[in-house]
Amino acid sequence: MLGVLDACFIIDWSRYRRRKLLSKLFDIMYIHEEVLAQIRSTIAIEYVTELMMRGILRLYAWSDADETEFIRLRDDVSSDPRIPAVERPDILCLIIAKALNAILLSENVGIHRIVEYNPRYRNVSIWTALEVLENMVYKGLITIRDEEEFLDYIREYEEDTAHKFRRRRIEECIERLREWLRK
Amino acid sequence: MSRERNIPPRELLEKWKKEDEEARRIRRESADWNFINKQAPHIRAALIYFIEQGDRYVAARIAGLTIEEFDEIRRKAKIPVVI
Repeated sequence: MLGVLDACFIIDWSRYRRRKLLSKLFDIMYIHEEVLAQIRSTIAIEYVTELMMRGILRLYAWSDADETEFIRLRDDVSSDPRIPAVERPDILCLIIAKALNAILLSENVGIHRIVEYNPRYRNVSIWTALEVLENMVYKGLITIRDEEEFLDYIREYEEDTAHKFRRRRIEECIERLREWLRK
Repeated sequence: MSRERNIPPRELLEKWKKEDEEARRIRRESADWNFINKQAPHIRAALIYFIEQGDRYVAARIAGLTIEEFDEIRRKAKIPVVI
């Protein structure tokens, strides 16, 4: 499984006490050099460097065709004030995820909304830390006996990163996990 | 040559509006307003912008900080990233 990381996801995930699990979920993860340039804190740099040294995280080779796609998508996004503004590095991540058929790890609301409405990007899989944790359960990286134990994992992440997952999203996730636990 | 623009449907815009309102409420209610009000004007403005808009990039620029430097202050101000 391939993943693409955006800056805020790395910044947040590097603070999570179970951050090492991410490299067991994905075979290879990609990062754009402009995203890498946004990472400055010791904790996040150390995390990224470790992943790169192990060959799990790689720099994506950006092409002229990707740049043309960036201009097209940027124009789509910026031409309507009702669409939330997104920064260039986050758009680059979305383009990479589409090009590689990879899962985009991003908590950028604007990027999530592009995937929700733009027909050319509707098939891109985009995960927040919540879906990452959920998929760690399916892959056996996190063992839970019931939904309450999963909620403990969510609480840990929220605590470590000062995040708050929407109740509706947690409920939907728990529903999928209940199904999975029944099997 | 012009090409067709992809505009979100009205129902989606309504859904996003509700999500934004919910996220704003959670950030406002969680925030440590004592801490925020003690900050220098540009930091305070950036924190308030983040509470209202939830955008770390722009908030960091208002504060004149990197995203991670701003994030450190955001955590101290107890303002969650709502997702």
